[in-house]
Amino acid sequence: MKKKNLFIGIGALVLASLAISACQPAATATGFETDVVVLRAGTGDSGEGLNPHQSIIADFEDQNENVLVQLEAIAGRDYYTRILTQIAADRAPDVMNIGDDAVPSFVEKGAFVPIDACLADLEFDSSVYLPGLLEPGTVDGELYFLPKDYSTLAVYYNKALFDAAGVDYPQDGWTWDDLLETAQALTEDTDGDGQNDIWGIQLPANWTTGFEYWVAAAGGSLISEDGTSYVGYMDSDATIRAAQFYADLYNEYQVAPPPADFSAFGGGNSEFDNGQAAMRIFGRWPQAGMLDNPNIDLGVVGTPSDAVEANILFWGGFGISSTTDNLAEACNFLSYYAGPEAAQTWKDWALPAVTSVAEMPEVADDPLNSVWIDELDDLKPRAYTFTPYWNESADPALRTALETILLEPDADVAAVMGQAAQDAQSALDELLAE
Amino acid sequence: MFGSNTQKGKKLTPFRRKEARAFYLTISPWLIGFVLLTVGPMLYSLYISFTRYDLLSPPEWAGLYNYLEKMPNDARFWQSLKVTAIYTAAYVPLEMIGGLMLALLVRERVRGIKVFRTIFYLPTVLAGVAFAVVWLLLLNPRGGLVNLGLKAVGINGPRWLLDPDWALFSLLLMSFWGWGRAMVIYLAGLQSIPGEIYEAAAIDGASRWDSFWRITIPMLSSTIFFNLILSVIGTFQTFTNAFVATDGGPLDATLFFVLYLYKQGFDLRNMGYASALAWVLFVIILVFTLLIFRSQEFWVFYAGEKTDE
Repeated sequence: MKKKNLFIGIGALVLASLAISACQPAATATGFETDVVVLRAGTGDSGEGLNPHQSIIADFEDQNENVLVQLEAIAGRDYYTRILTQIAADRAPDVMNIGDDAVPSFVEKGAFVPIDACLADLEFDSSVYLPGLLEPGTVDGELYFLPKDYSTLAVYYNKALFDAAGVDYPQDGWTWDDLLETAQALTEDTDGDGQNDIWGIQLPANWTTGFEYWVAAAGGSLISEDGTSYVGYMDSDATIRAAQFYADLYNEYQVAPPPADFSAFGGGNSEFDNGQAAMRIFGRWPQAGMLDNPNIDLGVVGTPSDAVEANILFWGGFGISSTTDNLAEACNFLSYYAGPEAAQTWKDWALPAVTSVAEMPEVADDPLNSVWIDELDDLKPRAYTFTPYWNESADPALRTALETILLEPDADVAAVMGQAAQDAQSALDELLAE
Repeated sequence: MFGSNTQKGKKLTPFRRKEARAFYLTISPWLIGFVLLTVGPMLYSLYISFTRYDLLSPPEWAGLYNYLEKMPNDARFWQSLKVTAIYTAAYVPLEMIGGLMLALLVRERVRGIKVFRTIFYLPTVLAGVAFAVVWLLLLNPRGGLVNLGLKAVGINGPRWLLDPDWALFSLLLMSFWGWGRAMVIYLAGLQSIPGEIYEAAAIDGASRWDSFWRITIPMLSSTIFFNLILSVIGTFQTFTNAFVATDGGPLDATLFFVLYLYKQGFDLRNMGYASALAWVLFVIILVFTLLIFRSQEFWVFYAGEKTDE
């Protein structure tokens, strides 16, 4: 009998200890005696892209000894999903970095708070930014985000490969036909094994945002101006022409290396970095790395035109999440993160948003940077500016369409784009009906 | 339930009641965990499957909409069922046979055989994501070792994970590393077969082939049954390899059911629909498991049980 009691007693003790340990509140860093405030900063950047974040955070922590900032980086498309899940769980980072195309939908979901008031408290002067750069962060007249940096698209080219093939460098004002000719002249199979070894141009595969440039240059648009219709736009003649040309570069003319992977864990195409592709169309972000790359003798030229000269703007900004417990401290950090001092660091990664930094000789007189800045004259509006539901309704359909025309050389581009328009439209109709 | 002493319909004696109390107290840590962490969320997800819920606003009741309207009309749902069915139908038999072959090989009493047992089992212990990323590199169409190796013997390898026709097969190839789990269990089963039976059979003039089919396999049938159940349940839920290596692509060629469920729930935030999908998968696996259990009496032989003869 005694043994049984002992046994039951131990069982109860185990139960009790489990219950107690489960009921303890999660240890919070601010439970310490010193008044250290811990802020969390979220970003979708990864790899080398985290270096500027980390150095700015280190500088901020030096200047503000009672604040610690934890950087939480989640690469790829999961970043936005993660933010929303965190918002729903009331545990989002205090300050978050998002791209311009996510601003309308996040603000609509109440994920961020307006910052006019708290910035006024800090006597922060928002005129330090280049004109127009506060716009992507403003929704319905209220400011939600401060700009981090921005970029357009341009065509990088490797002078070494051009010289070796005896081809003239691309000039501003060139057209899609010039692009094709140049790329064909540069593409070659050097060892005769039936596979191209040098490619004309590395394209960004199924990158939907980048594809908006091609549509805009062909004179088309992916969505109606009132933001309610994809049918008639995503499957318009101009869009189909753009998609056909894009796919032909891969499959028909074979001047673009096949996509390396569609996975978020893979590294993407690396031909340009390896000196195996003569051109690459992309944003400003990898330029610093390319300048250090011994395989590349770098030149940059604006995007080629078709029906019109076109380019699109990419913009990144910082906002304060609606779940923050430390609004004042977060605002203080925000004003530093996006402010003039930090812009000195951001300018190496993309074009700086702060006027004083943009006008510095090393930025303004840099021959490469001037190409990027000149492209600002040809900006066409991004699709997301027409509807807050772009990411949810059109992006998946467009990505599937791009993957289809790239992977299936026999695909009927017109039919694929038509299908994409239908799919996007039904998704949008469902969302608008809610 | 409490031993053969209790009889149906009779009230429990005080002693039995004490025993029952002790029983529940003993398993209470597990039971409470099970109810709170498993059954509770399952029931909640059942409730959610009848709603539309995007995490940010409260769930709104939608009745059978997810099951009767959304699912049957969803092309990707059918695609994911098809992908999962093909993969499971291919993988399960291969794992059963492959695991058995490996187990027979490592059963040999050869020096250093334990090293091989470890090597074969090692991939099962590895983190799924790391494993998949390594395969992603191996199967890279241009620089990966597999295609480079094929090129060396003059074959232009396919684009593996990037080709809609090869992607599922590539995942299948990748998963063969997982045979170690089945191998270890088969090994245990093989080692429990008494050696005397083989000796007796050899004396009676049985060939190696006969003794394999008439002794080894029947004696192993309970192990085979166990592995079959585990394999079916596990393979229907394949997720990690597909998520890391292909993310359902290219063009939904590797859109596994659990991966599709994940995308609906976390990419598109259709939590209600995702829950409905989860319950559909539960029912499918349940049906298969029950069928296999039912089939036991025809082919599974437990040593020591009474036969009709």
